[in-house]
Amino acid sequence: MKKFIKKFGIVFLSLTIAAALLAGCGAETAKTAEGADAADAAGAFRTLEEIKSSGTVNIGVFSDKSPFGYVDENGEYQGYDVYFANRIGEDLGVKINYVSTEAANRIEYLQTGKVDIILANFTVTPERAQEVDFALPYMNVALGVVSPESAPITSLDEIGADDQVIVISGTTAETYLEKNNPEIKLQKYDAYAEAKTAFENGNGVAWANDNTEVIAFAIENPGYVVGIPSLGSADTIAPAVAKGNATLLDWLNEEIRALGEENFFHADYEATLLDTYGKEYEDTLVVEGGGAEGAADTSAKQ
Amino acid sequence: MDIDVITAYLPRFWDALLLTLRIGWQGVALALALGVACAAAVHWKIPVLRQIAGGYIGLFRNTPLLVQLFFLYFALPKIGVRISAETCGKLGLGLLGGAYMAETFRSGLESIPLIQTESAQSLGMRPAQVFGYVILPQAVASSVPGLLANVIFLLKETSVFSTVSLMDLMFTAKDLIGMYAKTIECLTLLVIFYLIMLLPVSVLGSWLERRLRYAEFGD
Repeated sequence: MKKFIKKFGIVFLSLTIAAALLAGCGAETAKTAEGADAADAAGAFRTLEEIKSSGTVNIGVFSDKSPFGYVDENGEYQGYDVYFANRIGEDLGVKINYVSTEAANRIEYLQTGKVDIILANFTVTPERAQEVDFALPYMNVALGVVSPESAPITSLDEIGADDQVIVISGTTAETYLEKNNPEIKLQKYDAYAEAKTAFENGNGVAWANDNTEVIAFAIENPGYVVGIPSLGSADTIAPAVAKGNATLLDWLNEEIRALGEENFFHADYEATLLDTYGKEYEDTLVVEGGGAEGAADTSAKQ
Repeated sequence: MDIDVITAYLPRFWDALLLTLRIGWQGVALALALGVACAAAVHWKIPVLRQIAGGYIGLFRNTPLLVQLFFLYFALPKIGVRISAETCGKLGLGLLGGAYMAETFRSGLESIPLIQTESAQSLGMRPAQVFGYVILPQAVASSVPGLLANVIFLLKETSVFSTVSLMDLMFTAKDLIGMYAKTIECLTLLVIFYLIMLLPVSVLGSWLERRLRYAEFGD
């Protein structure tokens, strides 16, 4: 009996310590979650008022996708998307908390309330529009395929049965090729940096991604050529918010229209993209003031 | 929860399971072989080999699998060594596992008191007999729970394979979520498939443990 009490005591004591530690964690999360409200509850989002009164807006951006969203050598977020995000923070009158995101978890981050807005080169597609709400577009995009100059791929037919094409998981390039060219073998990576290294190492015959990406890659890395500059439909890139977050969506649309008045996105281009793409792509890429048509119009512009 | 979605995704998860198992068992086999070799080198204090084994264990036990895979897959091609993603997975798993297995085997060998060797010798057994009939059965019996824990640990570590473009269970789920955003369905399938893979290992292990108990000293 004595032995039993002793054993029981040990179990009880350990459980008490575990419970105390858990309670400590709980208290801490409660504290940090003040800003993010009840954001962890599934499907929860913060309205415009809640964001303003909390004093911080959480914006999901890429941290490895130069020149759209990346962290520079000083640890600061930079790029076309970030330039816009900074302005959003300014006009909302709140601080910005940048949350680094990967292509495949952009929808998740919105649905679980980890971020209020996604500004991570997010292409508007019908599938995605079922899961999140897109604001007005601020950039044009199509798909492109880059390959080494020594073995250029100028049409998808040139890809052999055993050749592998590199894509990033969760991108429109991946979805497009899975749907329209299921015979092409894809080699998938979950982050931009890894796909890039793998392509440089010659692990695939080509790399399919947004054409903005592959053009930038070919400009920065001699020896590569964009054999297929435009593939699939012409799409747009827009900010996204959680499904049903109407107050924030309306505010963003209003903001994008207002910014059109001052040619904000041209200024953005000149500040962030000019070095990479030069003047010639400015009018092709920039969508000013949400475009002529307005919300979630995925039909071709230009 | 959409049952049609689940049915549509099943083949992909099945492929992922096969890939994970294929890489997994070869990695585990490599780990066991490396583990025995290193444990022997360290236990019997074989010069040179012992230092090499010590260095290897120190290196691979104290770096994450993710870092090892990065090195094998992304860094080696820069110096001209090209290994396929699948081989990288097997090698990474085997090298990481070998370091863990070595320590488990070693602790098994060290758990046999010296007096047993001496007693066996005094009965006139030759060194090979001492090892084969006295030391090894007990060492194996006492390391089985540890080895089993290592095997399960290694199979779960396959979840970082997405880094080197291997479509393991975890990456398949993440990839499908990224494309079609059916989160609940994918994550449920993911949990189920990990259980399908690992529960039999656990059960088999417990059975093995009971079977080998006979060799345990003093029980």
